[in-house]
Amino acid sequence: MRRHLITAAAATAAALALSSCGTTEPAADDAKSADSITLTDGTGAKVTLKNGPAKKVVGTEWNAVESLISLGVAPTGVADVKGYKAWDSAVPLKNDAKDIGTRGEPSMDTIASLKPDLIIATTDLPAAAVKQMRKIAPVLNLRPADAADPIGQMTKNLDLLAEATGTTEQAAKLKKGFEAKLAEGRKALAAAGKDGAKYAFADGYVTGNQTSIRPYTDGSLIGAVNEKLGLKNDWKVKGDKAYGLGTTDVEGLTKLDEDVHFAYIGNKDDKGSNPFTGVLKKDKVWTSLPFVKKGNVHRLPDGIWMFGGTESMNQYVDSVVKALKK
Amino acid sequence: MAVTATAPATRPSAAASRTGAVAVTAALLLLVAALAVVDITQGTAAVGAPEVWKALTGRADTADSSVVIASRLPRMTAALLVGSVLGMAGAALQAVSRNVLASPDTLAVNAGSYAALGIAAATGVTLPFLASSGVAFAGGLLAAAVVLGLSGLGAGTVRLVLAGSALTLGLTAVTEGMLQLFPQETEGLYKWNQGSVAQNGFDGVLQMLPVAVVGLVGLLLLARKVDALALGDDAARGVGVPVRSTRLTAVVLAALLSTSAVTLAGPIGFVGLCAPALVRPLARRIRAFTRSRASLPVAGLTGAALVLGSDVLLRAVVPSDVAVAVPTGVVTSLLGALFLVVMAARVRDTAGAAQPDRLRIRSRRVFLGTTVVLVAALAGLVVAAVLIGDSKLLMGDVVNWTQGRAGQTVSFVLDTRVPRVLAALCAGAALALAGTLVQAVTRNPLAEPGVLGVTNGAALGAVLLVTTVPTAGSWTIAGGAFAGAAASAVLVFGLAARGGFGQNRLVLVGFGVATGATAVISMLIILTDPFNATKALTWLGGSTYGRTLPDVVPLALVLAAGLTVAVARRTELDLVSLDEDTPRLLGLNLSGGRFGFLVLSVLLSATAVAAAGTIGFVGLVAPHAARALVGRQHVRVIPVAVLLGALLVCAADLVGRTVIAPAQLGAGLMTAVIGTPYFLYLLVRSRR
Repeated sequence: MRRHLITAAAATAAALALSSCGTTEPAADDAKSADSITLTDGTGAKVTLKNGPAKKVVGTEWNAVESLISLGVAPTGVADVKGYKAWDSAVPLKNDAKDIGTRGEPSMDTIASLKPDLIIATTDLPAAAVKQMRKIAPVLNLRPADAADPIGQMTKNLDLLAEATGTTEQAAKLKKGFEAKLAEGRKALAAAGKDGAKYAFADGYVTGNQTSIRPYTDGSLIGAVNEKLGLKNDWKVKGDKAYGLGTTDVEGLTKLDEDVHFAYIGNKDDKGSNPFTGVLKKDKVWTSLPFVKKGNVHRLPDGIWMFGGTESMNQYVDSVVKALKK
Repeated sequence: MAVTATAPATRPSAAASRTGAVAVTAALLLLVAALAVVDITQGTAAVGAPEVWKALTGRADTADSSVVIASRLPRMTAALLVGSVLGMAGAALQAVSRNVLASPDTLAVNAGSYAALGIAAATGVTLPFLASSGVAFAGGLLAAAVVLGLSGLGAGTVRLVLAGSALTLGLTAVTEGMLQLFPQETEGLYKWNQGSVAQNGFDGVLQMLPVAVVGLVGLLLLARKVDALALGDDAARGVGVPVRSTRLTAVVLAALLSTSAVTLAGPIGFVGLCAPALVRPLARRIRAFTRSRASLPVAGLTGAALVLGSDVLLRAVVPSDVAVAVPTGVVTSLLGALFLVVMAARVRDTAGAAQPDRLRIRSRRVFLGTTVVLVAALAGLVVAAVLIGDSKLLMGDVVNWTQGRAGQTVSFVLDTRVPRVLAALCAGAALALAGTLVQAVTRNPLAEPGVLGVTNGAALGAVLLVTTVPTAGSWTIAGGAFAGAAASAVLVFGLAARGGFGQNRLVLVGFGVATGATAVISMLIILTDPFNATKALTWLGGSTYGRTLPDVVPLALVLAAGLTVAVARRTELDLVSLDEDTPRLLGLNLSGGRFGFLVLSVLLSATAVAAAGTIGFVGLVAPHAARALVGRQHVRVIPVAVLLGALLVCAADLVGRTVIAPAQLGAGLMTAVIGTPYFLYLLVRSRR
């Protein structure tokens, strides 16, 4: 047994020594520099792009990826491509972007092998990981959300991405379109007599025999858009500081006003995310809620990413208007 | 010791005992009823005591009454059911194994059920509720069978807990790996793992009720035979009780009970261990409770009180909207851990320090041969770990890199990969060394920084620091980890020191502290940073993700110092690990040295945690394996154990980084997956 081990170890060592010589990349000789851009990212750090606007961009969080695509920049690497396709079909990936791993722990190796000009990270990543990414390429570290000013944070990130990729014109167009969409939505809702209507948006998850519901408070992006549409957010729970999300259960829904319009987004590819069309149909608490009895529950189309950018929010506005005008 | 050591001078008469039993049972029933009533007045809806009263008397409006009927009552019933079922399962398991540490948690029943559900979910088949509980039952039973089979029925506590906790770690790692490999299919499982008694209506409770009743009635019918087992196998056989079949039936019934709890609410930790332990002191006063027929239901009631009490306490302490996010299992773990620590410090510990493992004496040649093989294997592994990753490199790249001539991509890849490899190597070596020291000093084969709660204490210290000071650097984090590790070590060793590190007490206290620390970490992350799963994974799963060279420096320095000290004082270690008397006979006072070794091992585990999160198992496996390979002399054990530890964690890290690339599995998970089979093999082998 021991002899076999020794032989195996020796053979492995020899094989490694023999087969692993050579290089996968020639030794370095540094490249030229052109007109550079300097930006200040979400953490206040200065980011310099030596060769002008970035072309090969990697995004670790879906909201940045969505904004990039809306700006007309096809990202080279995207975290959790399958998940993005399932949850953000409002702004589909047009190119064959490389999967760089999970959103929480994107793979440094894969990112480095893509040789990006720019990496878009968010402060949700561990600081140590961002520090490592800085060695691969300049990193624009965004604040993914800010419950104090959700829409402002979203457009600030859009502007930053536009500057970094030289697409400021497109960004202006997107912002204008978004403003117009908000105004149009507000008008349509007012015309339908829904100005100031009570409204609550949530998503939910079924685990085992339990349902958790996640309220989108005023501090969430969707909550802020609702406000712009003239809807009155009816959630009383407190949201977190970044995303403005709360937690509650089915019981918690009894605190909503009886006239409330309740809307949610599920996902057909994700069985656990559709409690409102699934288990709750049989739940007495749910079925006895006044707004459920009145039929004021609206399922908005799948694939509108609740934490996305202008395009997702435009679709959201359209779908809310359509749902409430009924 | 005063509490337990002296039996009452005059035995209470049978009649008095019966009255006492009735009184205690009645008091418990009252407590459970009171907790149940309070429980249904708590929740996120504005339905308080008056509304509940109206609903129960049929005078409330439909909204309020549906909250009470479809949400509050099911939750309360589930808590009752889960608690009592777990309490009874634990009592039965402890009775048939004559082992105070036997419980659904320590026999890996819960972990087995969870793993079985995870595998079933990963295959993408949606199972109806009852079928999924069947799967869970099969998994739980299988795990219990493996643990009892490996440890031998009725055999020592040590072997049982070793096998059980090893299998629990391994199975949990498999399940968590599954969660990451099949995130879509298994999504629900992740949160469920925390254990919560909330329910959608009565469906689940009603489906599990018959199973629980079958288990309960079965156990009560078996009670007389189970009691006979308490006399010892031979005595039981003497009075005509079939020992083997009684044990088997009791274990099957207990597994059935605990899987019914697991399918209904997820793993609610510790209740099965605590409830019977709470009843045991009663049995010393009231003789009726020495009989299973009386003590089983009382353990059930105690379990129900524990679960309901946790639910009530949580909602009373934090606002209801926050309470929703905190799983009941976390609270029972916390309460249970606290209780376990207190109880362990008071209970009489009959098991002294263990016999040293019987090992063949190995020749010098064997030692040298083993070391050479291990060094060669480690060298090969390090080369592989540096070359293999999402992007494969070749030796020439590394040569270029060391000379600073590598191209951009190669430099980046190696700049990030090499620190991770180093962190894994050093963490493995440090944990192995820490384990060797602790096992020598306490002469306890179970002792390991992870089992003793030091690792989790370190993680808690680090998480506390990261949560309050987000900009903390690597030295500060290492400091935080050390503070946590030191605090937990002082607690564990301080409480266990009475009576000379009694084996059960040390492990009981350590186990309690470890679970408590884990629960507090989960709670901290849920309450401060609810949407940061990565943070939780790094600290609880053990991960080298995002490590840079400066992060490894504290660990490397402590490791170097530790190795120097350990090698320099190897003879002292040999003496300490032998027995209590030899050093004294030789006229040596070793308490100072012991303390020094303990401090060193705490330092080692703390810096390892700061660099790579909580990686279990290495400190337990490596020293055992080293002793099996080269004998007990520390001059040989230390290098071999350290090499093995480095090998194990480095391999785990490599596999974790590559197997589902570009996504990654934590090194801690992989260590458990690799370590479990080897450890179980060791257990089987050492039985001969």
